[in-house]
Amino acid sequence: MTTRPRLQLGRHLLSGLAAVALFAVMAAAFLPAQFPPVRGFESGSITASIGYALFDLSGPIASEYFLVAFEITGVLLVAALTGAVMLARRENDSNATGVASRDVRTDGGPQPGEDRR
Amino acid sequence: MIPSQYYLVLSAAVFCIGLFGILTRRNALIFLMSVELMLNAANINFVAFSIQNGNLTGQVFSLFTIALAAAEVAVGIGIILVLYRNFNDVDVTTATTMRW
Amino acid sequence: MAGAFQFAPAIAALPFVSFLIALFGGRFMPKRGAFAGITATGGSLLLSAWMYFAVLSSGEPHLEIVHTFIAVTDPFTLELGILIDQLSALMLLIVSLISFLVFVFSLGYMNDEGETGLPRYYAGLSLFSFSMLAFVMASNLFMAFMFFELVGLCSYLLIGFWFRADAPPSAAKKAFLVTRFGDYFFLVGVVGVLGTFGTSAFAGDGSFPVLAEQVLAGETVGINTFGFDPQTWFTILGLLVLGGVMGKSAQFPLHTWLPDAMEGPTPVSALIHAATMVAAGVYLVARMYGFYALSPTALAIIAFVGGFTALFAATMGVVKREIKQVLAYSTISQYGYMMLALGVGGYVAGVFHLTTHAVFKALLFLGAGAVIVAMHHDEDMWKMGGLKDRLPVTYYTFLAGSLALAGIIPFSGFWSKDEVLFEALLRGMDNPIFFAAYAMALLGVFFTGFYTFRMVFLTFHGEPRTTVAEDPHQFGWNMKFPLVVLGVLATVIGFINMTPIAELTGAHIEFLHVWFEHGGEALTVEHYGALLEQWANYGEVHAGSALVVASGAVSLLFALAGAGAAHVLYNVPNPDEHTDKLGSIKTVLFNNYYQDEYQVWLAEGLTANVARGADTFDQGIIDGAVNSISGVSLSLGDRTRRIQTGDVTNYATLLTAGLVVLLVAVGVLGGWFV
Repeated sequence: MTTRPRLQLGRHLLSGLAAVALFAVMAAAFLPAQFPPVRGFESGSITASIGYALFDLSGPIASEYFLVAFEITGVLLVAALTGAVMLARRENDSNATGVASRDVRTDGGPQPGEDRR
Repeated sequence: MIPSQYYLVLSAAVFCIGLFGILTRRNALIFLMSVELMLNAANINFVAFSIQNGNLTGQVFSLFTIALAAAEVAVGIGIILVLYRNFNDVDVTTATTMRW
Repeated sequence: MAGAFQFAPAIAALPFVSFLIALFGGRFMPKRGAFAGITATGGSLLLSAWMYFAVLSSGEPHLEIVHTFIAVTDPFTLELGILIDQLSALMLLIVSLISFLVFVFSLGYMNDEGETGLPRYYAGLSLFSFSMLAFVMASNLFMAFMFFELVGLCSYLLIGFWFRADAPPSAAKKAFLVTRFGDYFFLVGVVGVLGTFGTSAFAGDGSFPVLAEQVLAGETVGINTFGFDPQTWFTILGLLVLGGVMGKSAQFPLHTWLPDAMEGPTPVSALIHAATMVAAGVYLVARMYGFYALSPTALAIIAFVGGFTALFAATMGVVKREIKQVLAYSTISQYGYMMLALGVGGYVAGVFHLTTHAVFKALLFLGAGAVIVAMHHDEDMWKMGGLKDRLPVTYYTFLAGSLALAGIIPFSGFWSKDEVLFEALLRGMDNPIFFAAYAMALLGVFFTGFYTFRMVFLTFHGEPRTTVAEDPHQFGWNMKFPLVVLGVLATVIGFINMTPIAELTGAHIEFLHVWFEHGGEALTVEHYGALLEQWANYGEVHAGSALVVASGAVSLLFALAGAGAAHVLYNVPNPDEHTDKLGSIKTVLFNNYYQDEYQVWLAEGLTANVARGADTFDQGIIDGAVNSISGVSLSLGDRTRRIQTGDVTNYATLLTAGLVVLLVAVGVLGGWFV
């Protein structure tokens, strides 16, 4: 009755080796790399400057302006929300989605009563 | 100042942990979490190079990435719901109907 | 007279319209489309005559591009054009005249005999007239080839008109295949000419004979002769085109289709297989004579094949029983004379013989058609006899044609054949090949006289040998009218070019020579003479009047000897089959020297086996290679697609592994790991 996560070892971890190998390669590539000295920001509040940049205003730290990107992101979020609602909606609740029957499946999954496992 | 290489290694580590999760786990929800990890690895890089170059753009971009991640999660959860409805499970390895 | 030439396309278009009318509306018309054909060819005849006088008054050729298929000049242009010069104007007149008369004759031969399928007949005949007239007007070799094939198709359709019997379809197929065999070479020749010169125009500054001459003279460079010496290459091209000529004009060894083609209706034989289509080959040589004149080898081959065919076919004509068979071999033989004339440089003589032959051979065929109608479609001469008194119109016109064919003075054939032989003799005096050709042709004159009068005597003289011959079927004006027109022409048309008389009296009456001395640049007989002298070493030979007269006398003597022999043997009330005395020679002749047999052997024994071997090679090795390659691809693809498991984890693993490999490779090459 414990809910504590347990370490499961087995063959399914084998493909994880690819991720480990990727890390090894990236670490081997990054560590010897040489960068110029870090410039950083001289003065002013970074957070405030980000706020100004998002609304195309001049802040303490000079920056590019992102108002259009900001607005588009807003639209995108609305779209994602709508899409998620549409996907999550139960199809037999209403015909408003245009789906005629609950038997219609998007990818031809198992028929009712069929056990695929 | 912390050298930039360390940020990179950190980001690579976070990315690979996410990837490891995707490669080894079968639960679709864990998948979504792993993808979040990978996105945040990218955010680490954005912020690191923003400091490195003294340019604010990287910081703003990481904000956008977070917003996109939110959208992605919304859609992802929707897909998982459909997956569950069709296969009565959230195990990604059972949904193998879109093969040859 | 620029106005006249505006109507030139109509000469060919009129019969085409009549073809459409006869094909689609023929069954609703009173004579099943005959009147449409008569009107159309009559119109063509009038227009052709107008063209003739237009050319006569202006003296300039008319060259016009009607339609361009491919306008790019590099690598070549393909276009339809009209070239009306002295040669094609004359030929247009001949073709449209004979077509017109044959249409009229068909009224009697086909309609009055109650044949079925007449719309098809008249459609075929009209289509033929269209194609032949367009062929004659063709301004380039490519267009000539197109219509050359089209007349071949019409020939096929009309030979096989009575397709319910056994023999005509077979004969039609044979005619089509044998001529097609020659046309393969022609097609290769056309492609060769286009590839070499970039144009196939007959006339004009950029025409291929002119270009070829400039190449030989060293004035033009940059002509691709495919690694050959230019003259050798031009000879090869000329011989390739000659393949089509020999098929169409029934020259040895591609002559075997013509006797079989007599299975078609007799008016068709008269129009297509005697007067016009068979002339297409010879006409083509004359049309591009400026090209052949550059190649002495091609000329020698033309002359020798012509001379040989003249004799060879004449001997076979001696023993035939059917009246149309005799005429068929006679046609082959006469075209041999034309080829001989062109080969020895007698351009005018060849065209002259072409003209006279068209008239008298059409006459003979139509006469034979009249006899066949009278005999209730029995063609065997041994069942005729004594028709002279019962069919007087047919007899006298047929006699005029026979005298012309045999070459008896003063009928037209004498003048033209004499000129052919005279030209051959001139050339033969210093070249044994031409002399051999001349000797064969001269011997052929004897046989011509013999078989012609054997035919006349067996058909019209003596006592009737069957009851049908005693009371032959009578026929109307529509068959007599063409016979009379052609009979008069066969008698007098030779007067347009009486060379021996001109030599003797000094009068300028060689109208045909004068006619061909005018014309466009590089299309006149003088130009051809200059070319022959420069490139083929056909020097100017000055023959005295004595030689001219002697040559004429010798050929007349041979003709009279042949006719006389026929008179002695066959002009008796009840002639015997004297040719039986020839024994085995008759068997050989009767079987056409076994030409058909060896050609069948070539086709079945040799070609079929080679084709079978090639088929095995193609199926087994070529297709096998292709099939196994595709089989390997298929099985590999089948294996490879198993990678697509549909399992997301697998895809992700493969992606990651691929990325690692890529990073390592790029990193090692780019020195990241230093």
